[in-house]
Amino acid sequence: MLDGLKDIIRKSSIHVCLVNTGGCNGCDIEVVALLSPRYDLEQYGIYVHNNPREADVLLITGAMAEQWKDKLQKIYAKTPEPKVVVAIGNCPLTGDVFNQEGSSVHAPVSDWIPVDAEVSGCPPRPSEILAAILAVGPDAIAARGRQKL
Amino acid sequence: MILPIGPVHPGLKEPLRLKLKTRGEKVLSAEIDYGYIHRGIERIMQGKTWQKGIFLSERVCGICSYIHTQTFAETFERIAGEYAPLRAQYLRVLTNELDRIQSHLLANSTYFKAMEHETLFMYMLALREPVMDAIELLTGNRVNMGWNVVGGVKMDIKQTHMDQIMQIMNKLESEYGRYVEIYEDGPLVGGLRSKDVGVMTKEEAIMARAVGPIGRASGLEHDVREQHHTYKDNFDWNVVWRKEGDNFARTMNRFDEVWESISLIKQVINNIPEGDVRKKIDIPAGVAEWRNEAPRGEVTYSIETNGNLIKNISIRTPSIMNIDACAKYMLNDVATVADAVATYATSDPCIACAERVTILDESGRVRDFHGVHNINSKLKG
Repeated sequence: MLDGLKDIIRKSSIHVCLVNTGGCNGCDIEVVALLSPRYDLEQYGIYVHNNPREADVLLITGAMAEQWKDKLQKIYAKTPEPKVVVAIGNCPLTGDVFNQEGSSVHAPVSDWIPVDAEVSGCPPRPSEILAAILAVGPDAIAARGRQKL
Repeated sequence: MILPIGPVHPGLKEPLRLKLKTRGEKVLSAEIDYGYIHRGIERIMQGKTWQKGIFLSERVCGICSYIHTQTFAETFERIAGEYAPLRAQYLRVLTNELDRIQSHLLANSTYFKAMEHETLFMYMLALREPVMDAIELLTGNRVNMGWNVVGGVKMDIKQTHMDQIMQIMNKLESEYGRYVEIYEDGPLVGGLRSKDVGVMTKEEAIMARAVGPIGRASGLEHDVREQHHTYKDNFDWNVVWRKEGDNFARTMNRFDEVWESISLIKQVINNIPEGDVRKKIDIPAGVAEWRNEAPRGEVTYSIETNGNLIKNISIRTPSIMNIDACAKYMLNDVATVADAVATYATSDPCIACAERVTILDESGRVRDFHGVHNINSKLKG
């Protein structure tokens, strides 16, 4: 019964941490736009607070700059189980235009931490980001929580 | 005690490390570590054609992405010694001012979030969405617009779109004053946590080379748009500036600039001339430099080309100076840590622009890099 209760609560209360690993900022702004009354992220029970220690979902943007090689893995380790990683934009998927000779990026992000969902676009629209979080967030978190227990 | 904030922190949207030297709750001084999102754009651009370069220049920064492409295109036009057609120049002004409005509203909303005024934060974001719609109507995209080319802009605007943008601007103008009033004279905000916090005097602003609304709020009456040929010859507008130099002045300066931008957009729509929006420009070999007023201040491009490929490019963005000005002059003797984070938010930091260098030691580890002001202070002795 306790498991069932936890599943219900986890489905309706998702905490999100946004990590920019070296992008142009465009995707981060679209996540901020999600907070606006038009999209109203919080009506789905999603709360963005940028604290990895309390997060259920890690939103990764950016193309993995030099400094993040070890830091991203540390942040991933700090995030409590069950956790879901959503990569937003072309940068974490392929490195986009930055993944060329002479640059200092180490894309894709999936080389460094496991990624559950990928949203392509440069940048993706806010509604697409929201759809991705809702598609993988509640069910995956609830299911993984049950496995863990 | 040294209090580190960031790189991933609830108070910050972008990765950066603020080191606050504190005694009790009081902040004595601050230091900033860069290098978390350095991608090496200038290096990638070398040896590419302008068609590839303009795509990359748009991705220097996601908030003021428009002005980077405009400056890039105008630098190449300068090398060729030509100007874009007048209709294209008008359309560039239109997009630039729309971009400025959304950037200023976003900057102010970040400040209100930092000072825990959630209501104004939501109001600002709600005001910003129609402006994003106007940008999407005009260019087809919300953030990275892909709108400028060397010699003009990509698409012409339709009359129906101009009418809709005019409607959006009229609605914004009628609603906007109320929110400025809430901030300026409201019972909770007016002066309580923004006046006399994070003061930077005019002399300090000059020493820190502060630009844009941050410099103008400290009394530097300087706007590069005054020297730009399109703005100088065709439009009637004023430079907004203030004397106080505190958080209140910086926020109000951005609020007041939005009025000017709305008036500029209306002038564009009422007076736009007929004609082409793009012309063919033959680019010779050469070097040129061009400046423009981004939402955060002056952005400079200097480009050397051999007529086909970019040989060298140097981009100087406003956030570099403004973040250093914030660390060195605004965050001195701030009363509380919460005020220090709010002060940092008023300096409108955009880290993606400001990243220029990552320093690696021989073993491949990243060294700390504290920005430009340390170099300056060493030079002064």
